[in-house]
Amino acid sequence: MTVPDLGRVFERAFALSRDRLLRIVVVAGIAAVGCTVVTVGWVTQPSHLATGYAPRQPIPFSHKLHAGTLSIPCVYCHSGTTRSRHAGVPAVETCMNCHRVTRTDRPAIQQLTRIHESGATVAWERVHALPAHVFFDHRPHVTAGIACQTCHGDVQGMTVLKQHMSLRMGACLGCHRNPADALPRGSSIVRGPEHCQACHR
Amino acid sequence: MDHDGRREFGPGKVEPPPRSGLSRRRFLSLMGATAALATGTGCPGRGQVAPLTRAVEGTQPGVPGFYASAFQEALSSYSVLVKTREGRPIHIEGNDAHPTSKGKTSLRAIAEVLRLYDPDRLARPLVEGRPVTWADADGRVVPILLEARQRSRPVLLVTGAVRSPSTRALIADLGKALPGMKHVAWEPTVGDGELEALAACFGEVRRARPLPERAHVIVSFEADFLGPDRPEAVAGFVSNRPESALDARMNRLYVFEGGVSLTGAVADHRFRLPPSRAAAVIFALANALHGNGVPLPTSVDPRWLVPFDLERIGRESGAAPGPLMGVVSDLEREQGRSLVMAGTALPGEAHVACHLLNAMLGSEGRTLDASRESPLGLASWRELATVFKDAASGRFAAVVFWGTNPAYTWPDAGLWRSVVAGVAFKATIGSLADETAAVSQVVLPENHWLESWGDHETATDMLCLQQPAIAPLYDTLQAEEILLRWAKALGASVPASYHDHVKTLWRKQVWPSGSPVPFERFWQAALHDGVAGREVPPAPARAFSGGAVAAAARAAADRPAGVLELIAVPAVGVFDGRHANSGWLQELPDPITKLTWGNGALVSPADASRYGLTDGDLVRLETRGAATDLPVVVQPGQAPGVVTVAMGYGRRTGAVARGVGASVFPLLDAGSGSPHLRYGVALSPLGRRVPLPFAQRHGRLEGRDIVRHFSLADDADKLRRLTAHPVAELASLYPDQKYPEHKWGMAIDLTRCTGCSTCVIACQSENNIACVGPEQVVKGREMHWMRIDRYYEGGVDNPWVLFQPMLCQQCDNAPCETVCPVYATNHSTDGLNQMVYNRCVGTRYCGNNCPYRVRRFNFLEFTASKREPESLVFNPEVTVRPRGVMEKCTFCIQRIQDARQRAKVEGRTLGDGEIVPACAAACPARAIVFGDLKDPSSRVARLSLDERGYKVLEELGAKPSVTYLARISNSLGGRG
Repeated sequence: MTVPDLGRVFERAFALSRDRLLRIVVVAGIAAVGCTVVTVGWVTQPSHLATGYAPRQPIPFSHKLHAGTLSIPCVYCHSGTTRSRHAGVPAVETCMNCHRVTRTDRPAIQQLTRIHESGATVAWERVHALPAHVFFDHRPHVTAGIACQTCHGDVQGMTVLKQHMSLRMGACLGCHRNPADALPRGSSIVRGPEHCQACHR
Repeated sequence: MDHDGRREFGPGKVEPPPRSGLSRRRFLSLMGATAALATGTGCPGRGQVAPLTRAVEGTQPGVPGFYASAFQEALSSYSVLVKTREGRPIHIEGNDAHPTSKGKTSLRAIAEVLRLYDPDRLARPLVEGRPVTWADADGRVVPILLEARQRSRPVLLVTGAVRSPSTRALIADLGKALPGMKHVAWEPTVGDGELEALAACFGEVRRARPLPERAHVIVSFEADFLGPDRPEAVAGFVSNRPESALDARMNRLYVFEGGVSLTGAVADHRFRLPPSRAAAVIFALANALHGNGVPLPTSVDPRWLVPFDLERIGRESGAAPGPLMGVVSDLEREQGRSLVMAGTALPGEAHVACHLLNAMLGSEGRTLDASRESPLGLASWRELATVFKDAASGRFAAVVFWGTNPAYTWPDAGLWRSVVAGVAFKATIGSLADETAAVSQVVLPENHWLESWGDHETATDMLCLQQPAIAPLYDTLQAEEILLRWAKALGASVPASYHDHVKTLWRKQVWPSGSPVPFERFWQAALHDGVAGREVPPAPARAFSGGAVAAAARAAADRPAGVLELIAVPAVGVFDGRHANSGWLQELPDPITKLTWGNGALVSPADASRYGLTDGDLVRLETRGAATDLPVVVQPGQAPGVVTVAMGYGRRTGAVARGVGASVFPLLDAGSGSPHLRYGVALSPLGRRVPLPFAQRHGRLEGRDIVRHFSLADDADKLRRLTAHPVAELASLYPDQKYPEHKWGMAIDLTRCTGCSTCVIACQSENNIACVGPEQVVKGREMHWMRIDRYYEGGVDNPWVLFQPMLCQQCDNAPCETVCPVYATNHSTDGLNQMVYNRCVGTRYCGNNCPYRVRRFNFLEFTASKREPESLVFNPEVTVRPRGVMEKCTFCIQRIQDARQRAKVEGRTLGDGEIVPACAAACPARAIVFGDLKDPSSRVARLSLDERGYKVLEELGAKPSVTYLARISNSLGGRG
């Protein structure tokens, strides 16, 4: 069986010399690959993909209602901030502290009550996730008087919680190098640590 | 490097990396009272956060909890603190509330956390090899017990040592419900000589606790009391080692031994002595002391000692006469402040002689304390042999094995086969399907001790409480609970659970009668502390009776000479084989030979050249009717004519243990009275060689002072050199490092270090360090961040053995930092040489440029591919490093950071000693001190200015942050 010469086929079809054709194909190919890399890279970079991430939660909990309208302090539920690296997600029991008596007529609260009584748990969709090699610690940040909103955004205005900060290293270091805006007035802190093992270990 | 790609990536060597680090993320999200479930739904890789329904009081996600518990191994119990994260035990430390162990524990107790997550653990009961429910298993066992009771046929219960008052009471209860039950407790590491001599000399088998802290002179015969399983003895011993070099108040340790033990390595004088000659030397010392006017006990006739002339016996055994006479004069001078110890492997006459010598020196009540010890309650090998013969003859209706594995440890294979044939029904209680389980019809899976209740007697007046730190991972029960079920089925009135049983016993026996504290509060306090004292009058002093001395002296004079002697010793890692399925302990290098993953026949250099052997040559060791093939390890310091073999290898079951090394047990003789010794062993080279996985292949200092070692007997010039640091400051191309706040540093005292390697295992547990397996160790790819380097100084016949813990030196001018092309390793502002794994591309330039060889490279996917249950052991505060990444010691940066943040939250500055790296926390000798070098009042700052202090390879100008304090020996000059 004879194999058709593809080059000749193209040569005839486009009436170009083989050399010319090759030049065009190479240049166009490089441009196409480059465009793809840049476009995909730009679109998928964490600061674009991550910020604004607002998954549907199993129970339509509204931070706007609880933290905003009712002005419940963040640490009432996220009580780990001063004791642990992790702020923590409250136990179902913490919700029931109020919802044993409040709004028990709402379907979502009835769902919550059923979960609590059955001993099951609520699988919340994780919004803020750090890479495995980052060991962020809430304690020093909260102790320094940095408001939760600095990184988590205007949570008291969010009906559905969404990611505010990109959580990229640049965002962390930007603040560590110039923390004045984040810190309360009169704070003695000039800079945050910038050595690797402050976060990576 | 293996260039054959197929072999490098062969099956089992490497598993696919976890998808985008999902398992790591899952791990992180386990934090808190939250359990995250990695899902494929939603945005990829974020997962879910599932909090607890009800928060557990006193727990906080991300904050470790510490629970006091206790671990038993053979005759030792250890009070420990179990560190848990989100309900998962991840690390074990000694319990600092315990008055004698003072926060230290055995390295094997630390490694137990790995055994908890052993994938080989039995998950449900087995009947004839098939998994069944507990009801089915009971349905199989209980009718047999009922029938045995009805026909009044005895049932045999074989266990390991029982040191728990509650277990003892439970076995007694079961015995009442099952008349004729015979309980035998046996330990393969305890020799008959010790048990029989105790009975002969004192009329009871009650050990005395050695108190090295009170002894100025210690003489040890094959007694490895500075081994890793006696942290309190190590602490007591080093308490009499000097803080300052020129302080002459220092204890002196003489060791007589055949092989080289850790104790022998630390000794000021070490004599090479075949174990068969130990009794003669001890009698000769007694005779010489008697000749110098030290009175003999009245029951001992001086004529019995006449055949033992110290000079002649010393000459025959090749001991240097000067130090040998030094033993006599030291003992004579330090009566009541001296201590003589005989190892459990030695024959009865050596133990009798040792008791005689201690009686002459007045050690009892001064350096030996028997007042708080209870009888051992152990059967000797000979007694067990008699019981086994009964069993073979069909006397027992059934046999239950618990905590013992005679199918592996019992030397007489013929007798064992007839036991298996002679007892119709056999049941095994254990956590692994071991050799004994393989011959049992019913295998009952036992909880790990971290899942169980219990109590332990560390002294008659000091009990430890063992509480579960995690609920059982599988459908298992703790062994006591199984016995309780049987007792209940047999109609005994026993508490509903073993927890109730322990509590009831404590209410009756431990809670002080008439105490104003309610029992519940007393119980809660005991649970919190893990220890509780109880008022027990001290036992009367043991009275030495010399009746046994005559026979012992005859036996000592009568030992065969000129034949090859075999001595079996417990392995530092796997002990008697019960830990053989632990990768950490298999890969822990033996501190002396540095051999990992297996054992060898240790022979002296003289014997090696006589037989034409070198490291790795296979030999066959043969005794009557049994043979074992082992690779030779030529051991400097080994006594000629003595072959040492470690126990615990050659297991036939267990994914990790199977086929590693060879078992020495078949070579032993249960009936000889000294089962761990065998005289007249035949050694024949097999003409083949195997590669041995040594973690260190070169042990000479080559004239460099890497380990500085001095003796108090050295001349003043040498002592003066201690203080001289002739190293000139080298000019540096780089600017000096600046440390605005802290500079972390470490001081390691080589006089205190006994080489026990507890730090190595503690580091492995804390820092998620990989196990690589023997093939990789042969290639030099072991991963320990903290290792113990062992050097020999002096002739090969009896050299000094020097230990040096070696870890990243955190150099100011770190050679590794300047060569990293991607800036993955660089210097922190608090003096740490930091390593950023996610930046590392694996060029290995840093490892090649490190003069201390402390950087470790992940050649294969060693840990990151681990799945549950193995992955549960990981410390969530430390990155699990994947393939292709360099790693090294960080001074436990996670502990530094945690302490700093806690201090910050509490608005205070860090105190000295507040940060304790895992190695320092574990070191029983407290040889490792960590702290801030910028704080001039810190302990580490003071120690690094000590006149004994020096840096390793200081002349390279790397400016390490670790200061070593030179080792001082209190020798009379010479070695032994």
